Amino acid sequence: MSRKQVKGEYIETDTGNKVARKAILIGTQHIMLGGKTVIQAEAMIRGDLARTAQPSSGAGGAAAPGSNTAVAIGRYCFLSRGCCLRPPGRIYKGSFTYLPLRLGDHVFVGEGSVVQAATVGSHVHIGQRVTVGEFAIIKDYVRILDGSVVAPNTVIPSFSVVAGQPARVIGEVPEGGHEAFELRELYKTVGNNPQPLPV
Amino acid sequence: MASFTPYTYIQCPCYETISRTRSSDGTQTPSSRDSFEEDERTFDPRAPRSNYCLYPLEYLLYCDVCHQIRCPRCVSEELVTIYCPNCLFEVGSSSLKTEGNRCTRSCFQCPICIGPLAVQSLESAPEPSLLSADNANSSAPAGPWILTCSYCNWNSAEIGVKFDKPQGIFAQLSKIRHGEDHSRSTIGETSPPARSDTVPDTTKARFAAMKSFYSAQNNNSTTGSGLSGIGDYGLSSPGALSRIMNIYSGNNTGGIKQKSKASMMREADTPNEGFRLSDLDDSAAISHLRHSGWEGTVTRDQAKLQVEEGARFADELWPIPYLLRTKRSKRCPVCRHIISKPESKVGNTRWRIRLVANNSIPSITIKPLQPSTPSTPGVAPLSGILRPLQPAQFILTFKNPLFDDVKVTLATPATTPGRFASRVTVLCPEFQIDANTDTDMYLDDVLKDGDKDRRRQRGDESSHQAEAGKIWERGRNWVSIVVEVIPASLRQDAQQQQQQKSKEGEGKGKGEGEEPVPDLGPLKEDEDILEIPMFVRLEWEGEASNDQVGTGAGKEKDAREKKELAYWCALGIGRISQE
Ligand SMILES: [Zn+2]
Ligand SMILES: [Zn+2]
Ligand SMILES: [Zn+2]
Ligand SMILES: [Zn+2]
Repeated sequence: MSRKQVKGEYIETDTGNKVARKAILIGTQHIMLGGKTVIQAEAMIRGDLARTAQPSSGAGGAAAPGSNTAVAIGRYCFLSRGCCLRPPGRIYKGSFTYLPLRLGDHVFVGEGSVVQAATVGSHVHIGQRVTVGEFAIIKDYVRILDGSVVAPNTVIPSFSVVAGQPARVIGEVPEGGHEAFELRELYKTVGNNPQPLPV
Repeated sequence: MASFTPYTYIQCPCYETISRTRSSDGTQTPSSRDSFEEDERTFDPRAPRSNYCLYPLEYLLYCDVCHQIRCPRCVSEELVTIYCPNCLFEVGSSSLKTEGNRCTRSCFQCPICIGPLAVQSLESAPEPSLLSADNANSSAPAGPWILTCSYCNWNSAEIGVKFDKPQGIFAQLSKIRHGEDHSRSTIGETSPPARSDTVPDTTKARFAAMKSFYSAQNNNSTTGSGLSGIGDYGLSSPGALSRIMNIYSGNNTGGIKQKSKASMMREADTPNEGFRLSDLDDSAAISHLRHSGWEGTVTRDQAKLQVEEGARFADELWPIPYLLRTKRSKRCPVCRHIISKPESKVGNTRWRIRLVANNSIPSITIKPLQPSTPSTPGVAPLSGILRPLQPAQFILTFKNPLFDDVKVTLATPATTPGRFASRVTVLCPEFQIDANTDTDMYLDDVLKDGDKDRRRQRGDESSHQAEAGKIWERGRNWVSIVVEVIPASLRQDAQQQQQQKSKEGEGKGKGEGEEPVPDLGPLKEDEDILEIPMFVRLEWEGEASNDQVGTGAGKEKDAREKKELAYWCALGIGRISQE
């Protein structure tokens, strides 16, 4: 998997993922990384919680048939220390099953946060110690402030700033605030050869 | 003490337009505004009015016709799209007028905790929101259906509300609520006695009943006059209004004809007509309170979020249909050009026009300059905490977003305004920032050498010395300089001394007449923050704008013109420690 065998803190993959050696990835065959994603130490991804029931026709979602991805992560995501990505589960046709958790591109997950959403869009910032409840749908350009608890099944539309327990929309992302969601620069600041953040 | 994050707020020029149009006759044009003598004015970021014009850079837009900053307060907004934030369905503006500003599908918030409510079969195990498509072909559980909150576990059966089918909850709920449907009679024993089904008891229902009653009255009395036949709109005709005015004012001078008609009308006097006697007997409420206790009453927030007023007990709280949300475009208040316009589709996050200020004016970041040899060894500098009367240095970094070199001139008062005057010295108030030439990172290294030559010629390379007239550091399109502050002491005796000193001294800082009686009151909120008002003037040579009619035709492609922009900002440096 890793091309460079130097003993750094991170394993850097061909597609540019930087995975800390101390990251906890369970069920890696069910985890999809889009590339250029940072997974810090003690961050946990529960790929083992894959779908158990066979998807019926029309309920398969966007996943390629047979792949049975539990957690799909886009490009330039940043999973901070101690966060956890956990697929949501529910009773479906009389039996319990997990359903996939999908993250878009440029998704930041803060330290100690737990995400059990159905989908998280692109350009989403999830602060520290946040809980995103099961089957929440978070659209693009959303900022979730530290300590929020997003209730299960919540839909958060684009350009929302949310906070509170349960989380509610407390403001709008201003027009000039879109670029702040970009994580390309942050990606360069971690890894075995970290670069300082540009001015 | 909480940690402090330095900030930069920028003042929108709408601050001036207000104060100036009041003093002058309001005939100013954007160009005359620019030529106003800015140097004469000072700016107090703590003044009450300043609250309304200071914004972080990302909240500001920039009109490229007026060449001026515009803020959320002065732009005019226009609705582009109205949608439900929960189901993300678009709502037409016409249905907004008839249906109101809430989602009329099945989107509700929990009346207890405002979490989202999902439709569930009362019988079977929990089923998630019906919005997910795959619910349709699941082995459909039978009704009745309820709304449940998965955050606090509230469900609508607690107030006796159940639904026959899992779709169109809004319509079913309003039927139940407004007493047109008797489905609730089956579960009547659990519902509080205050809501009987036959009589319209909500404000909305009573208003509707009363309106239809008076419309009918009005139609009856005007059948002959030809003014009727507008049906629902009977009350809004001017004739109807004058008749009603006659009834209430007792003014019958309108003539015999009208008098006779007025006498034919009567007031609503039965509950079905929307009339309700005030219930002055609170014994039911008192016994309810005794039974359910504090827990059974509503909080202020819960009552406020309800669609209808008057809920006092938790079992009078109804599910809250989601308020609709909008996408809006923004116009410049002066030239009326659109400066921000999102794509209209709800799911599309792109923008057709987005003239944001951070593409036009430099960003300013603040960080403390840690001296290599700390002046007070042993005292670890707390982040953002300033020690009174101890000089501290900060690095201000200006980053140029423009594709042209920019000359920056800064000015600050020698001491900060307000009760606690801290001394401020900008070590390098005039400098040039290179253009934002290329954002391509690979080219960056190649360009660096060429840049260095230019800098050597100019003689303003990075000095890394806190020296007057020298910049601290320079990068591709940024420059950092040093600002030195001597924080004021927050103690009242020290404050008095300092005021005396500043009056005796060079006479700058506070004007003598400004504060004749020193305010010795306790520290106000955030008064311990050292906030520097800073005037920023930018000068650059940019592409000539072609918005003026009659500028030299043909060859203006390469035409350059001098441009200038000046504004105040407030720099929050840190909190002064209260010792
Ligand atoms: Zn403004
Ligand atoms: Zn809706
Ligand atoms: Zn709730
Ligand atoms: Zn304009």
